[in-house]
Amino acid sequence: MGTPLTARILEEHANTFRALPPAGAMEARRRTAIEALTASGLPTSRDENWKYANLRPLERLRFIPAPAAQPVTATDLPAAIPGFARYVFVDGAFAPALSAALNATAAAVTALAAAPDAGRAPAGVPAQTSAAGASADERFALLNEAFATDGAAIRVAAHHEPVRLELLFVASADALAGASYPRVELQLDSQAQLLLIERHVSAGPHASFVNSAVTVDVGFGARLHHYRLQELAPGAIVFDTLCAVVGRDACYRLYGISTGAQSARSTLAVRLAGERADLTLAVVALGDRQQVQDTYARVEHAAPRARTEQVFRGISAGRARVAFNGKIVVGKDAPGTDSRQSLRGLLAGPQAELDVRPQLEIYTDEVRCSHGATAGKLDENMLFYLLSRGLEPEVAQRLLKWAFLEDVVAKIEVAELRRQIEERLALQVHEPLARAESA
Amino acid sequence: MTASRTPLLAINDLHVTVEGKQILNGLTLQVGAGEVHAIMGPNGSGKSTLAHVLAGRPGYEITAGTVSYEGRDLLALAPEERARQGVFLGFQYPVEIPGVNNVYLLKAAVNAVRKQRGLPEVDAFEFLGLVREKMRLMHIEDSFLSRGVNEGFSGGEKKRNEVLQMLVLEPRLAILDETDSGLDIDALKVVAAGVNSLRSPERACVLVTHYQRLLEYVVPDIVHVLVRGRIAKRGDRTLALELERRGYDWVTGEAA
Repeated sequence: MGTPLTARILEEHANTFRALPPAGAMEARRRTAIEALTASGLPTSRDENWKYANLRPLERLRFIPAPAAQPVTATDLPAAIPGFARYVFVDGAFAPALSAALNATAAAVTALAAAPDAGRAPAGVPAQTSAAGASADERFALLNEAFATDGAAIRVAAHHEPVRLELLFVASADALAGASYPRVELQLDSQAQLLLIERHVSAGPHASFVNSAVTVDVGFGARLHHYRLQELAPGAIVFDTLCAVVGRDACYRLYGISTGAQSARSTLAVRLAGERADLTLAVVALGDRQQVQDTYARVEHAAPRARTEQVFRGISAGRARVAFNGKIVVGKDAPGTDSRQSLRGLLAGPQAELDVRPQLEIYTDEVRCSHGATAGKLDENMLFYLLSRGLEPEVAQRLLKWAFLEDVVAKIEVAELRRQIEERLALQVHEPLARAESA
Repeated sequence: MTASRTPLLAINDLHVTVEGKQILNGLTLQVGAGEVHAIMGPNGSGKSTLAHVLAGRPGYEITAGTVSYEGRDLLALAPEERARQGVFLGFQYPVEIPGVNNVYLLKAAVNAVRKQRGLPEVDAFEFLGLVREKMRLMHIEDSFLSRGVNEGFSGGEKKRNEVLQMLVLEPRLAILDETDSGLDIDALKVVAAGVNSLRSPERACVLVTHYQRLLEYVVPDIVHVLVRGRIAKRGDRTLALELERRGYDWVTGEAA
């Protein structure tokens, strides 16, 4: 597709990497990715799963990796989560000085720039770390693969204690200077356990362009709790692609909390490849002002007796647009599938937009699939109940918005992380923390 | 006190429609301070509509009549203002609000009243002590403190929570809408004990009920029978017993 946009991407790519020496496997993948991207082009709003995303900024963004900008210091970063090792990446590049390395033998974290061949799947395991075979909805991952110069490769082995790890991606550059390409290649070996916090923040007020790509391979019997926080500055533009494969008897809990940026699009593609794979995919999105928060989550059941719970809670206020398109595909080899979708959106303003769309495709028998989707205003009965107890209407409304989100947030098991998330959500719905009293 | 002369609540010729349908049809009723009134009546007679109109629920159109509370126009007040002035509605179907903690709501409600009266917010520690004391009275488990409002409560637990809220808020006028329905005899006694503990010369209580069973434990001063949106009969508590014996056909036939 020879659009002006792809031509410009190709040109910026050539200018960026012409000067660099060849860098082994990473270089080869970069070339494959740019070729695939040139052939396919980036999605447009005419593509089926992209009509709610804000793609217009692409016309004026620069794709070259952002040069090192203002130095980022520890005070720019969110408070550390006790017990979690922290790896900080500034505009996609590993920043050892800001990081507190892992003290565990069960896991290895490698910066991709330092070891370009790291994170590659060992022989016999299908490679999940290349986006070149990605479907049409995952084309932004190609963009990341074509331009990323660094990232985190993580390999976790079996251990009786879960490994605790935080990846903090800091965007510091303005979009006019270049893009930030956070990249994660994660592999959990059989029976491995990992609690992973993946957090995207801004240092300073810059309107950054962030294009992140995450690949996840949850091996046989492994357990992964993955908390993804998008807390970028108000002007930021972010495209995010996550591709995960969940193996036999493995458990993947994926929580996405998207509150930041001007325009955010998240594409989540999870394939339940092994029997009895167990997935929880929960997304909370808050839109205010003229924010766009768009998520497309596709879960594919490709093996028998796997389970999915897909949850969405979104609030759209001001002139924002909040969208969640949740698709579950039950393939012909997936009898005994158990999937549930609970997608709920809250419209908190006359000019706000909300699009909640559950989709279910079933190609086999003997499945149990339920879905519920609502998009509406605050529950009148709840509201009257609170008013009848003397609460001000504004207070009652804020409290109900809070409660709407808390439904998901309360399930986050890392206490300090949950506290930080609640603090931020409370700030956004202008509600003082409504936590339980210490009994 | 003048309370005995000026009724706490005076409803005069109240007409109410819901979606164009006439539900209350010239209802007149006076409740004095210190009194407990029971409002009985067959299904569809307008009992719950009366309770909701007094609490200010939207969706009801008042086409004629007046309601004064403490000598002021109650209908002119927003629901939250009524609550802060001491009017409490115990819901027939209390709503579940996951994510809003029980104690948080109780404290917010108490502080709303205190703010109205120019008082500082309650001390969190003392308040928790008070809530625990009332919880014991209402036989409510400790786990209540950390749960969401009515979240996962059984029907009986929800009703006991309504009475607990009433005990903590200490309203001047409590309207309990079928708080007895769906309770077994033990829960009914607990609820009745809660209501009785709040009886005082300054307060009044309106019990909306279908059966006279609750009235064995909370003895009313006056029993009103509501039929087709107006009071068809009134008497003392023996009226409730007579209704039980003869059935509502007795009054509905008389009122026709």
